[in-house]
Amino acid sequence: MRTWAAKFFNGITLLGLGGVLIAFFINGRIDQYLHPQFRLWELAGGIGFCISGAIYLVTKKSMDCCVDGQCIHSNPRSPVRAVVALGVIAVPLIAGTVFSKDSYDQQAILNRGFVQDARGLPLRNVAKDATPANPNQPAIPSEALGGDKDENSIEPPLPQDGNGNTASQNGPGQDSKDDSSEQYLPRAEDGNVALEVSDLLYSETEESLRKMFSGKTVEVIGQYLPGSDKSEFKIVRMFIVCCAADARPISVPVKAQGPVSVADMSWVKVIGKPEFVANGDRTKVVLKAVQVQPTDPPAEAMLY
Amino acid sequence: MSWFHFSWQNFWFSFLALAFEGLPFVLVGSLISGFIAAFVPSRIITRFLPKNRFLATLVSGLLGLIFPVCECGVVPVVRRLLDKGLPLSCGLTYMLASPIVNPLVAISTYAAFRGQHPELNTAVRLISGYLVAVVVGLSVSRVDPARLLGGKAIPSRSRRRSALSIAAMPDAPDASGDVSVIQRVIGAVQLASDDFIDTAIYFMIGAAVASVFNTAVDQRIILPLASSPILSVVAMMLIAGVLTLCSTSDAFIAATFTSFPIPARMAFLIFGPMFDFKLLFLYSALLKKRTVLALGVGLFIIVGVLCVAFLPGIYANLGS
Repeated sequence: MRTWAAKFFNGITLLGLGGVLIAFFINGRIDQYLHPQFRLWELAGGIGFCISGAIYLVTKKSMDCCVDGQCIHSNPRSPVRAVVALGVIAVPLIAGTVFSKDSYDQQAILNRGFVQDARGLPLRNVAKDATPANPNQPAIPSEALGGDKDENSIEPPLPQDGNGNTASQNGPGQDSKDDSSEQYLPRAEDGNVALEVSDLLYSETEESLRKMFSGKTVEVIGQYLPGSDKSEFKIVRMFIVCCAADARPISVPVKAQGPVSVADMSWVKVIGKPEFVANGDRTKVVLKAVQVQPTDPPAEAMLY
Repeated sequence: MSWFHFSWQNFWFSFLALAFEGLPFVLVGSLISGFIAAFVPSRIITRFLPKNRFLATLVSGLLGLIFPVCECGVVPVVRRLLDKGLPLSCGLTYMLASPIVNPLVAISTYAAFRGQHPELNTAVRLISGYLVAVVVGLSVSRVDPARLLGGKAIPSRSRRRSALSIAAMPDAPDASGDVSVIQRVIGAVQLASDDFIDTAIYFMIGAAVASVFNTAVDQRIILPLASSPILSVVAMMLIAGVLTLCSTSDAFIAATFTSFPIPARMAFLIFGPMFDFKLLFLYSALLKKRTVLALGVGLFIIVGVLCVAFLPGIYANLGS
């Protein structure tokens, strides 16, 4: 009876874990928690837990696990231990599915501190199309820029138009129509250049990006983090490498033309022009906003 | 407290993320453990390792290159290998080295430090991790395993090795007897399930504690320490312990701490995969609590001395 009860609770624990993992994958909530490369892995884990739980529940013990009758496990013959395992492993996970809001609040973002240098971020993904299917892909494909280059590196030639002109030959503030780099700039419905916070952060270290963005009217979606006054704030996105536990906030400072009144950490769309200012031996970007409006969260809140 | 702000919202988000990322790895480690128990005779292990104590420990530190297991999955594997007769010194060395000395970590470290001497930093991380693990392994090579291992992890008296004389030990009757492959597979899954539940209890406790510190503690309080060669190393090891990152990705996080000197970031990358909040509890599935604490303190000192006293000179000589 004791062995049967322990077996029952252990099997339920495994099936519960598997159910939670599979449910998160199916309903898409996993997108807020894991980098894409880990999501199928999470689903495989869920299936694995379900198969293991089913085998554990319906089959008889077929092998002794240790020599001389000594077992290294604590749980197979102890119902109490099995209930504790259920309470420690499965119950918190199930509770988390109910209580988690699938995001951090402002305090967690402040506690983690902002990434100050884009060179510390992982390689930018290479988008093959000008309008990538994945909204989290950086807007500008690396091949258009010669990959990630810092300010000390040799700048590769930008794409040239039919007359041999390059994007770099366009002066700041000149929203040139014949700029061949235009083909790489994704456009929002209203015609503005649609960028991510990460694109602007990368532009601090990539001169070719700065040339490409200068003078363009861009729109960027992020979470509103209030600043010292109502017209200066940050738009924030979380950047993950593996999972939300390692998420680091990245941000771009925004200067609006007037006071902005939206809720802290609410999602906003900022339309404006990026300006690049020298700060010692580095370049910092500031988004001069002409319009700040509330918007829906993007399909994937995390950047990667 | 201005440096501590707990929020359930942040806790649940971080906790679930750690669980979703880590639990499948624990399951894989457990399945490896179960299949080792069902299919691998002890003599294979004893044949694989040199009989010489020192050489066996050196080889164990490199097993991660051909048998990579991350820090979440390595505990059930080591527990099973110890049960199969692997000497404790070799088991500990493999347990500490495998999360660092493996191909995935080498690739991710190289990628993360692109533009920051990636070859040098990758080599320093893997070699340092290997050396630290070997030092710990050798330091326990003459200690009776019963003094260090938790009660359930101690191999039975008949299977325990005397010193490092690695003689083949008898296998479990069912493991070597006339059992069909299907029965063995089912048995392996059953054993893996028991392994998983034993280990996952500690993993979940560790993930919960890590999530509290990961989200509630203001990490900016540590930033002023970056200018001190000693305090920066200590700070980065503390951060690694709190963040409880996966070793396959932690280099990307370390690379963002650009205000810290490179030896301090190496301390983060060497200490973190060997000992953090999650592992503090996870190791309890294998070792006695006082052993776990001693291991943590010992690793803190060894990695600290390495990164304060030796790595700055190495980087200076190699022009980084």
